[in-house]
Amino acid sequence: MTPMLFGPPERQLMGLFHPAEHKEGQPRLAVLLCPPLGQEQIRTQRLFRVLADRLTRSGIDAFRFDYYGTGDSGGDEEEGEFEGWQRDIAAAHAQLQQLCGGTVRTVWLGARLGASLAALAAHAAPHGPARMVLWDPVVNGAAYLDELRAAHVDAIEQSYCIPERDLRRRLAQDPDAFTDDLIGFAASPLLRHQLRALSAQRLPLAPLDDTTVLADPGDGPVVHWVDGQRSRELPVQLSPFQHPLIWTSDPHPNNAMVPAEVLQRLQAELRE
Amino acid sequence: MTELPLLFGPGDALMGVVTRPPEDRVLPVACVLYNMGATYRAGPRRINVKIAREMAKLGVTSIRFDLSGLGDSAPPTDPKGFMAQSVLDLQAAMDLLEARLGIHRFIVIGFCSGAVNGLTVADADPRVIGLLMFDGFSFPTRRVTMERNLHRLLALPFNAAVRDKTARWALRKLGAKGPQIFEFDAPDVSPDRYREVVSRLLARGTAVLALYSATLQVHDRGRDQLAGVGDPALLQHLDYRFSPALDHTLTTVQSQRSFLHLLGEWVQQVAQPSAARLPEPPARAEPDRTARGAVKNGMEGALPN
Repeated sequence: MTPMLFGPPERQLMGLFHPAEHKEGQPRLAVLLCPPLGQEQIRTQRLFRVLADRLTRSGIDAFRFDYYGTGDSGGDEEEGEFEGWQRDIAAAHAQLQQLCGGTVRTVWLGARLGASLAALAAHAAPHGPARMVLWDPVVNGAAYLDELRAAHVDAIEQSYCIPERDLRRRLAQDPDAFTDDLIGFAASPLLRHQLRALSAQRLPLAPLDDTTVLADPGDGPVVHWVDGQRSRELPVQLSPFQHPLIWTSDPHPNNAMVPAEVLQRLQAELRE
Repeated sequence: MTELPLLFGPGDALMGVVTRPPEDRVLPVACVLYNMGATYRAGPRRINVKIAREMAKLGVTSIRFDLSGLGDSAPPTDPKGFMAQSVLDLQAAMDLLEARLGIHRFIVIGFCSGAVNGLTVADADPRVIGLLMFDGFSFPTRRVTMERNLHRLLALPFNAAVRDKTARWALRKLGAKGPQIFEFDAPDVSPDRYREVVSRLLARGTAVLALYSATLQVHDRGRDQLAGVGDPALLQHLDYRFSPALDHTLTTVQSQRSFLHLLGEWVQQVAQPSAARLPEPPARAEPDRTARGAVKNGMEGALPN
């Protein structure tokens, strides 16, 4: 694993390159891991690290990175917004291509909001991905924002010995309450606006060789979105995937950091 | 401010990021930041990144890194037990900054279970001139525990969240399965051991701050969490603070700001002691580089100066 900073000087991003253990005669394949954001990114860091290690053993190059204003990358959380993060994905893709010594068949794996951003970024990335695997993509940004602010209140209630009494009332009565601080990660007015505007209609897939969406078949909005993309005659399929990972939680004994079934399934989906 | 990610330690097994202040205001002190539990080097709510950048504004260098086997650091090839390995890892981080940046004084910041790593390395290594233990050791007396439980009991009829927490606690006690809510798990060190080590540190001139959040209690009458240590004279020399604005994982942005403000003031006190108190750079044995590993060859000049 090689850590590095990349991207323009005013927007330095943290990257971690995991070079493949190449096998003779095996066509080269690279995977760009587009993580989720906020607490979900902290939650899945170890999972993606272990996944990257496993991929290299299968002869696949892997590249992990942090969006601007997240993880070890430059910037504050308040600076995070969709357009910049899409450019970060394109920059990470270009960095991965350079590290692999040229244009290499590349798969993007995106998780949660990282999957949605990857779907948007694929339209503009030069020599972009051949394929995408989108895991639990966010297709309804307003619902996602509601989920995060509810998780925020839950986290406060769990953490303080005696929490404030009216947190739930404010959550129920004020749709803007707890939207600027999402489980300890500041969200700017612009980001909140972009999240609320994110919808299935505004998330068209790019015409790639193939897109696989990993999601719970009971997740109505995602199923509906995949159907909509199929109706555009795009090669996209929903691959049912239920898992125990609680995206917004801190790791605890009943919610493993690296659930075996997740690791196994993602590896299987990324091998070609 | 400049930041540099790097691998260091034996076999380049440890992954860290060094943050340097602007060149015109670099103090000869560095903060050492590491994992809280199994959360990677960025820390809960990315707090270690925020600390590193706040410290840089104050002229203080920092390194945030993953202990062996956590985050992006490789597991040790010759395991010595978690605590012994943690001490070696923390010393490897100090060795790196000492060798490359000439920094000899360090402030170790330990969150939760990280406090026990911090206390152990501070005891073992005189380069540690400051130790912050956030929600680290807790030795409440029966009076303190009863007061906390009374506060909760009184809140029960009026606070749905407390009722919910109490119900979940009761279910867990009855053996119910399901996602476990956060429960503070204090490091396992005896009051005697704590008293012994803290006495040594204070005698050595190391600044020790024991900081506690509102996760553990509602009010603090003064050193409540250490009441069971039983040495009031010693505790008077220990910087003990309770902040009702903070919680254990700094869940809100406001909580983080309060923490950063408090930390900044304390670090400045420790980093810039009055001339009368300024100790000489600590004398110590040459680091055992066979155990902790040499700093990666070829890294000379790689760190921002």
